[in-house]
Amino acid sequence: MISRRAVNGGLAVLAALALAGPAFAQSAADKAVEAAKQYSGTTITIVWEAGLQSLDPLNFSGPKWKELTGIDVKVVEVPTAEMFTKILQEHRAGTGAYDALNVIPSWMSDLARAGALEPLDAYVDKYGYRDELQEIAPVYRDNQMKVGDTIYGFPDDGDVFVFYYRKDILEENGLKVPTTWAEFAETAQKLTDKYAPEMYGAAFFRDAPYAQFMFQERFRVEGGKFFDPETMKATVNSEAGVKAFTEMRAENKFMPPGVETWGFVENLAAFLAGDTAMTLSWPPYGRWAAGYGTDQEALNWVPKSTVAGKVGYALPPGGHPQLAAGFSLSVSASSKNKEAAYLFIQWLNSKDISLQRVQLPYALRDPFRASHFESAEYKSRWPEAPEYLSALQQGAVSGLLDLSLIQTDKYEEALRQGISRLWAGEDPKAILDDVAAQWDAVTEKVGVEEQKAAYADWAGKPNAYPSK
Amino acid sequence: MFQYWLIWPAVLVILLIGLFPILYTLMVSFQNINMLEEDRSFSGFMHYAALFRDLRLWQALGHTLIFTCIALPLELLLGLAMALLFVDRMPGRQVFVALLVLPTVISPIIAGATWRLLFDNRFGPINQILGWLTGEPQAVLWLVNPNFVYPAILLAEIWQWTPFMFLLLLAGLANVDPSQLEAAEIDGAGWWRTFFQIVLPAIRPVLAIALLIRGLDLFRLFDVVWALTKGGPGTMTETISIYAYVQGFQQFETSYTAAIAVLIIVLLSILVVAALKRMEIAR
Repeated sequence: MISRRAVNGGLAVLAALALAGPAFAQSAADKAVEAAKQYSGTTITIVWEAGLQSLDPLNFSGPKWKELTGIDVKVVEVPTAEMFTKILQEHRAGTGAYDALNVIPSWMSDLARAGALEPLDAYVDKYGYRDELQEIAPVYRDNQMKVGDTIYGFPDDGDVFVFYYRKDILEENGLKVPTTWAEFAETAQKLTDKYAPEMYGAAFFRDAPYAQFMFQERFRVEGGKFFDPETMKATVNSEAGVKAFTEMRAENKFMPPGVETWGFVENLAAFLAGDTAMTLSWPPYGRWAAGYGTDQEALNWVPKSTVAGKVGYALPPGGHPQLAAGFSLSVSASSKNKEAAYLFIQWLNSKDISLQRVQLPYALRDPFRASHFESAEYKSRWPEAPEYLSALQQGAVSGLLDLSLIQTDKYEEALRQGISRLWAGEDPKAILDDVAAQWDAVTEKVGVEEQKAAYADWAGKPNAYPSK
Repeated sequence: MFQYWLIWPAVLVILLIGLFPILYTLMVSFQNINMLEEDRSFSGFMHYAALFRDLRLWQALGHTLIFTCIALPLELLLGLAMALLFVDRMPGRQVFVALLVLPTVISPIIAGATWRLLFDNRFGPINQILGWLTGEPQAVLWLVNPNFVYPAILLAEIWQWTPFMFLLLLAGLANVDPSQLEAAEIDGAGWWRTFFQIVLPAIRPVLAIALLIRGLDLFRLFDVVWALTKGGPGTMTETISIYAYVQGFQQFETSYTAAIAVLIIVLLSILVVAALKRMEIAR
């Protein structure tokens, strides 16, 4: 028989659980807001990529955070190419000028090694963010968040190369969406032969900083490995590398004249104007090609799309898109407002807020959570949005990580130079031999054993190389 | 003693802004500072030894010399020709002079960015004009093709800095003693003889200063090349300043960059002293 005392005790526990219920159900965004209110009246400074990207904290998240918590957000806009330098310089100077940071994941290990990033594990536990972190798509969560076993940033941008093609043109010509680079070349050549100069079969951005991502992708799709894991000798000049380089240059012949100098905007303008039938780029192309949000003032520089409703989305030929660049949110180790900065990035990155942010047409943040890919709201944004989100989701499964080692940029710099020499007409094998020699020199300088360990760590990640 | 007390603030400022950075750079060049690591240990002559093995550095120095050796005489000749044209009074002279000098007041990085647009293979007016002249569309890759990239950079550089030469030489020509020119004319000397025997000796000090200033500027050439090619294709147009920038601010090799800076200072000092001696204007 149950005693009255036992019944009363049980009721008390139930009552306590009922009261605690809302607290347990509180989202990571709400937790961050509640905790951040104690810092009301302060200002936190965040480094953000200059241009469209920073319209997110300037127009949307910054004012909203201020309204919810009373904390001001100061945005320091820095061009992408200078972000690493600025963050490192500020850290070395120890001014505490930056509180929160946007970090390209391939830099994370260098910045963490330099002590510029604050480890976030303790904050994550303190503010109960682990569950929501787990909901980030595995390719980003498992590869762009930690250095070793320590969390240094929250993956916040699902950057991935998507293949865009004109459905109407391919259909009209009885052509299939190419799934290999050989098919791509054949399809593009046919279309160029038929339509040029009014329209070319394809175009890509070929400016070296962009094209080096494409090379990284294609080299691995061809079976290339960047280094011999035993000796750490560069193997970028292998047959796979030469094949990728040779094909990349050959493709320029069916692309518009001068494509060698094209960057993000030139390529975008040509595709939206209907001057090219196929291209490869980051996710915003897909949104703008559909005309999503391009009537907003911030996007008045984007040429009006003449191809809305005619664009298909797919994985690039080879099926393993480069997860080119991307951004993670971190806290500066020299910040004087680490707690407030952490709470801001938790709030930004949370399931609720990030869903709103990835739908801002102007802000360039791309879906990176399972809930983003499956969002009914996002799928209703334009008629082909479900197809678009599906391509992004597939990319988040089979995508390939940017090479990330100690002093990664020195390796990328050699590759960038190699690509500009490729467009200048030099022999692909000779260029790649030089690139490999430069890579070996960097490895020697960093320390072969140290770099070998860094490479083993990177190469051991599931998305470093295509799965067999 | 009082007079020395009066000048010491000026001496202090000079030491602070002139000598201290040089000494500090020298000190850093003997350390092992790399922005990615905390190490500040003494490295002796390691970075200086590395300079001699660094092929890219000497190539960059070679590119700098190519730019200097081509641009400097062309700027001088064009500047002198323009100055001779405008030395005589004519209607609207001041307006023309002001217009001609405009390129020098533009920031070099802006000038470079503008030339980049002019050289654009698709929308740039240069290819468009070439197309009109040849009767078919032209898509010359000025900033990619190794055959055109030097002429393109030199064109931008000469366009911007010839007016500077022009201005200095115009001032020099304006000060040539008119009585000597008149006497030469009366004596029946031809234009060339008058130029070589009266005008040129008279403007020689100005000429020397103009050459020295522009020579030093060209040795530090950075902005236009950076805006146009960033030193590419590959490192084909990389100047010593661009190389130093890349090492210091992209590769974060602080001490090695300091060694490059010391090398540049030494080379420039030797050149300047030799030039001043040769031009006999040091006195």
